[in-house]
This record gives sequence, C-alpha cells and structure tokens, in this order.
Amino acid sequence: MANIKRANASGITKSGTAISDVPDAPTIGAVSDLSTGDTASVAYTAATTGGAATTFTATSSPGGFTGTGSSPITVSGLSVGTAYTFTVTASNSTGSATSGASSSLTLAAVGKYESIASTTVGAGGSSSISFTSIPATYTHLQVRALCQTNRAGYVIDAFTVKFNSDTGSNYSWHTLYGGFDSSPSVTVDVGTSATATRFYWGNSSVSANVFTAVVMDILDYTNTNKYKTIRTLAGFDVNGTAGTGSYGGTVCLSSGNWRNTNAITSIEIASTVSANFTQYTQFALYGIKGS
Amino acid sequence: MAITYEPLVTTTLSSATATVTFGSISSAYTDLVLIANWGTSVNGDGTLMRFNSDTGSNYSDTELYGTGSSAGSQRRSNGAYIDITRAIGGDGSTIYTNSIISVNNYSNTTTYKTALIRANLATGTYAGVAALAGLWRSTSAITSVTILAASGNLLSGSTFTLYGILKA
Repeated sequence: MANIKRANASGITKSGTAISDVPDAPTIGAVSDLSTGDTASVAYTAATTGGAATTFTATSSPGGFTGTGSSPITVSGLSVGTAYTFTVTASNSTGSATSGASSSLTLAAVGKYESIASTTVGAGGSSSISFTSIPATYTHLQVRALCQTNRAGYVIDAFTVKFNSDTGSNYSWHTLYGGFDSSPSVTVDVGTSATATRFYWGNSSVSANVFTAVVMDILDYTNTNKYKTIRTLAGFDVNGTAGTGSYGGTVCLSSGNWRNTNAITSIEIASTVSANFTQYTQFALYGIKGS
Repeated sequence: MAITYEPLVTTTLSSATATVTFGSISSAYTDLVLIANWGTSVNGDGTLMRFNSDTGSNYSDTELYGTGSSAGSQRRSNGAYIDITRAIGGDGSTIYTNSIISVNNYSNTTTYKTALIRANLATGTYAGVAALAGLWRSTSAITSVTILAASGNLLSGSTFTLYGILKA
C-alpha cells in the first residue's frame, strides 16, 4: 500500500494538488448468514484517524467475493458449506488499509421447499385428514397424497376441501375429469356457493391395492387481500378389468376457490359421502418459499 | 421444518438415445418427481415409462387430454409400459415436450404404484396438453425409472431431472 507521510489532518499538498491521507484500517465486526444460501453480512467500524475513506470493500477468503458500501456490507456469490473469513478494506485515491480477518462463517443450506407435516392412516381408517396450525412462513403450500377410501362400487366420488374450519357457503369449483367408464369421456362440473370446494376421483378401492395420487397447490395462502385459489391434479387407474371389466380410472383437474381474505391456517379434506380413508392412506403438507 | 425436494440426478443427452434410466434410486424419500424436457426423433412417437425394468404386461393408464381440435379421455390396460404422452406425441424436430411426473409413496411395499403425469407440447401436429394417471401393478418399492421412445430416439439436448421429496 502507499505510505504517504501525513502533513496535517487533510493531507499534504504537492504541486498545488491536495493529496488525501491514507485511511487507517477499519475494525472488522460481526459477520452473519443472510439465509439466502449465497450471501453474508459483514460489519465494520471505520477508523476515526487517518484520511477519509471513499470506499469500503469486504472480501471473502476463500473465493475473493466482494461487496462495497457502508456497514454492514453484503457479500454475494458465496457457497453453502464453505467456511469463510472476511476482511474490510478502506480506500481512497491515495491508498488503502485492510482490517484483520473476521471470525469464520459457514452458510447454512436454505430450503425453498420444506416438509411441514404428514399423516398416515392406521388400521381403523379415518373420516378426514386435517392439517392445523400451518405456519405463515411460506409463499405457497402443496399437499401430496396417495390415498384410498372405503366407499363401495363403481362410482365417481368427490372430496371436499375446507379451510380454517369455515363451514359457510363460501366455496366454489370448476372441475374437469375423464376416464371412469367403458366409454371414456370428459366431464365438466361446476359448483358455487358451496360449503366446501372439491375435487373428484373415482373409487380406486374397487381394486384393493390401487390408491389415488393427489397433488394440490394452494397459492399465496397467507395473503389477506385476495380470495384463495387452489388447483388439484388427482388420478388413479385400475387396469380396466376390476369388477365389471369396464371400470378403468379417473384423471381430475380442479380449480377451487375459497371466498375469504384470511390467511389459511388449517386444511381439512374429507369424502362427500362419509366414506373413510383406508389404512396406508398418506397425506403430506409442504411449504414453498418465495425469494 | 426440514428442507426437501432434493435433486437426485440430472441427465442431459449429448446424443440421440433410445432410453434413459435412473437406477439405484434411494428409498430415503416419500415421493419422486421427474421433470423432463425432451424431443423425439419420430414425429408423433410415444414416450414410455417403466419401473424396475419390468417389461411384463403390468401397466395401465388413463388420460385426459386436449389437442388442437378436441378434448377427450382414453384408457389402456395390460400394457408393457405407461405411455406418458399418448395423445400429444413427440414432434420429431426441435419442439420439445415438457412433463412433470409424480410417483407418490414410491417405496412402499403395500400398494400398487400410481404415477401422476402432466405433459404438454406447444406446437406441431401432435401438440396439446395432457394429464394421466398411470398404474404399475406391483407392490415392490421403485428402485429404477426408465424413459424410452416408442420407436425412435430421444433427441440430443433432452433433459431429465429426478427429485426426491421427504415428508415430515
């Protein structure tokens, strides 16, 4: 670094041009994980002696990733699992001075998709599946299931979805489903002002080992400005030979709406015909974070 | 809360090939998700899926689809594979098909395995959108997934990423 002798507090003058004094080294402060998976915060204290610094630059080791600004400085480009130390360099047009190294920091992995809760139905069956006390720390929710009910016969069943235990007539849906019988067709079903939104699946239990797969997305579930919209893809296939030999399977696409601006804190899923979920049915709730 | 939805393996084809197999799949997760973007060398070719290299007639599927002119559903029983693009087919050129395949509770040894499939092809003779439920009549845990072109090849540049999701 340049080593210019100080003449006074504002520097020296050479050939009529003011030359700033070299800054003294800043004091390194705390470093912390910003929980993005690639950034850290680096604090420092500027020296009260020496020349005035025009730039403060935090630098990682290893990697040499840098950030500039006032304290705390954000350093980007880091990797999860690597132990980093940081220094801060104060500089001006005359020279620079660098702090000592910070304590070591290792960034933790950051999840964008996290498991929240799950339930597996036991031998006695269950009339409904509920998730309660859902945290508000995510942007979207996803419910994934492999499930079956004990309803008898070759029928299309509907499954209700309620939020926050609201039993009012505040739900609606549009559903498109196909398959089902010996002459596969496409059916549209619409419901308004209902006491639950719903999606459909056929009765997979006509074949003992066949369970229905479900993926349900509940978008922006904590907003308090909009009604809540969910989408569901559900389906199963029983190889078309069970029982009558004409019953094959069902695929269902559904859009549901809950006319409420409250954040969703609980979900309840049940059959419309009071059938029970059978043993081995498994539902899992996941949260998806935004940036 | 536990972080999940972990990428297990990604395959990008550097040359045309008939099959892509993900083997030795860990049973440490609850669900599998395969996200794929692929092309086929034959226009209208189907793309098929098998589990655990089972080539027996143990598969069936039900499909809901919409193409340029119609919407409908169809079923197929006792097949030797799940056809993940029955209605929309491959384009046979540079237009690739997207698909997201979920196999929930794939490692349980009690139930048959049901796959949920969403697929779309944006343009071309066989363009459309489709949703399928595919059944593999086996209670074995799934340890491998094979994707294969029905008659031609999967094109260079096709990408397949397998994820594992673990419940709480």
